[in-house]
Amino acid sequence: MKAKKCMALLLAASLTASLFSACGKTDNGSTSANSGSDSTSAESAGSDKENTNDGGDPAFQKFPEVVEVHIGQGVSTTDSLPEGLSVENNQYTDYLLENFNIKVVVDWTAASGNDYNQKVALCIASNTLPDAMTVSREYMIKAANAGQLYDITDLFQEMQSDQVKEVMDSTGGQAIEESSVNGRQYAIPAVEVETAGVQVINIRQDWLEEYGLEAPKTLEDVENIAKVFAEKKPAGEDTVPIAGPDKSTNSYTNFLQTGTTTCGFDAVFSANDAYPGIFLKDEDGTITYGTNSDETRKTLELLADWYDKGYIDPEMGTRDSSIELINSGKVGMFFGAWWMIGYGIGDAYRNEPDANWQSYPILTDDSKWNVKLGSATTGYCVINKNVSEDVAKAIIIMANVLLRDESKFDVSEQPLSYWPVRTLMAPADECEYTYHELIKVLDGTASVEDYQGVSTAYKLLSNDVEVVKDTIPGYETGKQLSISDFSTENFGNFQRMYSLMIGDRPYATTPVEKEVRSCIFNQTETMEKKWANLWSMENEMVMKIITGKSDISAYDEFVENWMNEGGSDILEEVAQAQ
Amino acid sequence: MKTAVMKTRPFAKKRTSRTFFHYNLMVGIGLLWLIFFNIVPMFGIIIAFEDYNPIQGLWGSEFVGLEHFEYLFSMSDSRRVIVNTLVIAVSKLILNIIVPLAFALLLNEVRQLRFKKFVQTIVYLPHFLSWVILASVLLEIFGYRGVFNALLSVFGVEGKIWFSEESCFRQLVIFSDVWKEFGFNAVIYLAALTGISPDLYEAAAIDGCGRLKAVWHITLPGIASTIVVMAILGLGNVLNAGFDQIFNLYSPLVYSTGDILDTWVYRMGLLNVQFSLATAAGLFKSAISFLLIVISYVVAYKAADYRIF
Repeated sequence: MKAKKCMALLLAASLTASLFSACGKTDNGSTSANSGSDSTSAESAGSDKENTNDGGDPAFQKFPEVVEVHIGQGVSTTDSLPEGLSVENNQYTDYLLENFNIKVVVDWTAASGNDYNQKVALCIASNTLPDAMTVSREYMIKAANAGQLYDITDLFQEMQSDQVKEVMDSTGGQAIEESSVNGRQYAIPAVEVETAGVQVINIRQDWLEEYGLEAPKTLEDVENIAKVFAEKKPAGEDTVPIAGPDKSTNSYTNFLQTGTTTCGFDAVFSANDAYPGIFLKDEDGTITYGTNSDETRKTLELLADWYDKGYIDPEMGTRDSSIELINSGKVGMFFGAWWMIGYGIGDAYRNEPDANWQSYPILTDDSKWNVKLGSATTGYCVINKNVSEDVAKAIIIMANVLLRDESKFDVSEQPLSYWPVRTLMAPADECEYTYHELIKVLDGTASVEDYQGVSTAYKLLSNDVEVVKDTIPGYETGKQLSISDFSTENFGNFQRMYSLMIGDRPYATTPVEKEVRSCIFNQTETMEKKWANLWSMENEMVMKIITGKSDISAYDEFVENWMNEGGSDILEEVAQAQ
Repeated sequence: MKTAVMKTRPFAKKRTSRTFFHYNLMVGIGLLWLIFFNIVPMFGIIIAFEDYNPIQGLWGSEFVGLEHFEYLFSMSDSRRVIVNTLVIAVSKLILNIIVPLAFALLLNEVRQLRFKKFVQTIVYLPHFLSWVILASVLLEIFGYRGVFNALLSVFGVEGKIWFSEESCFRQLVIFSDVWKEFGFNAVIYLAALTGISPDLYEAAAIDGCGRLKAVWHITLPGIASTIVVMAILGLGNVLNAGFDQIFNLYSPLVYSTGDILDTWVYRMGLLNVQFSLATAAGLFKSAISFLLIVISYVVAYKAADYRIF
């Protein structure tokens, strides 16, 4: 696998190299004049505003001259571009250059995950930030505190489009606050749909039907199904009833990384009323850490039992990629966010067109649904302090454009993850809202025309209603959709519709009993120093207990060490911050 | 070395700056490399004593003295990281001398030249494989559905993921490293062995000395200085337990026995952006290494009357 990756890397490297040389050639001819005047245009552009051809709306202005934006881009190892295209030469960069005179120059790329984080950390340490990159919260705070970031407090208010403002407002000011340090805004936040923090179970319905099983409701059902899958081995000798986290993913989210885990076990914990990794405030205002609870302990024991019985992937925690395992058709169940089932495992349907994945919520024993929710924002597009105002504007424009024009693009060949420094922006209830509107359209109670020409923050809705009938030709009112009802002809549309109509069905249709959020999404002073170590301790403890390398006493030991090595100070600080 | 070679050449050109230009150039490249990659980065040590802020830079960041060292040693991680590093590195050091030496001695006794060359070529091939590749091969072999478990199942032993077993990780790391390097390390001993005069063996044979005795009384003393050099050179590296190897093989499951200083520094410094703490750990490692080099130098001089510089 590694060898394959290396090969791919090599190829990518040589591709970029050849691309650079190609760029060099055309540059000599046509745009060298432009790049020479870039720096001067920065000063003059302010007064040249009347040149813009977009009715003077600063949010979508076209620069009179090409503005180069240097970015660092994370690339997914599973999404690929068609031959001849690259991170800085694809439909998105073409679109930006053509319509806004924004030329995206990719200074570096790194595989999303650890590789990307490492690159970001290096950029911060060596003070060589590209003009823009998207980072996670810790890095944003670190760079902002170091004074490396462009203060966009005022610029953002001036430049944001109405839609962006609508999205920001939908969080009640939370989004801006979370992207600010000491009251100044240093990043364009990625505002995530609420459901992104909600974990559901995804299961092979066709396997269930084969053995006459019902869809799971509680943990007990999951266990019984896993038992059958483990015995009957529907995918051959190496069938994995429940996939687990891989090398670079965690067993559950924490208050800093709040988009739910892929193949982690948040849903299992929540079903036991346990919320590890986040800080909780009970009725009388006492702050506790979710990992330090009897319910968490109990759930860990349960997971260890499942692992021991062979229900959970024996190679969890050491695999390179659990997604690859799922794509290969060996897995019966896994936990993930709403988008996993469509966007996340596209290759699973390419390999096995009948794989009928379905999503369900996991309820408590008394049939209540508890969900652990994340922060309002999940990613931060930061801008280098030293860029010209035009470049900073261009970066905000890119975010505006993405929100307005996302639906214009065909994403089946060129995934949206190749949008330069992409920041997701969605109103909190976008998925659920879309789900219900789409059902209306499918049922015929609303028509496609009703949605055209209405400008809202639900930027994909008008496009969604247009394609929904073609993508789900097998829809019948009241029937649970399955893979055979979908058409994969336009794969991008298929992935989106499958994610929405199946992956988000639980959150759109199941009433939630209890919503649990961390009472803090920021790092306190002690955390900045000690959290990394505490979290790695915790992660190791969890992995070891689940895989049976340590017994549950390691948990008690951890709780004690956690308190001694900074945890008690942290709890005090969190209480003070309330 | 070079001057020595020059002196012994009877028709050497006169030493002028022109004839020596090439040599100076070659040395110059090496020196430049040394300055840029070893001397300049040394100033980074300061980071360990301050709250490093990239904008304020090396000289502007707030000085905090030994605070990071205090935290470093108060962490439960640090002790086990140091223990792991020492155990893995010392075992590698010792085995990487003994195994290649034994192999070289054995190979030296082989009389069939073709076979000797053949074996020598085969065993040093793994040296040229990078750990990135080799690690995935090893993980596959010792994986859950790997060859090794298939073999064990023949004997009815239950399979495991060997590289996620705390109790096996160190051993696997040490042995895979020795396996990878012994062929290459043996080359130096084989070279030293050819330097021993055949007269000595002939004389010994006439005196009725057997093969084993010849090894003990002639071969080993003949290459003793080489062994000492290898050991001393190795000691300086004793805290380098092999970052690329372990980084590619480990997982959180084996941190307790497999996490070494370098991998820990990597995670702290690069993934968790604790630059100062990571630098403090790195500096600690360098200080220990420096101490070891000094000790080994003195010991080698006193015990074996050998100096490298």
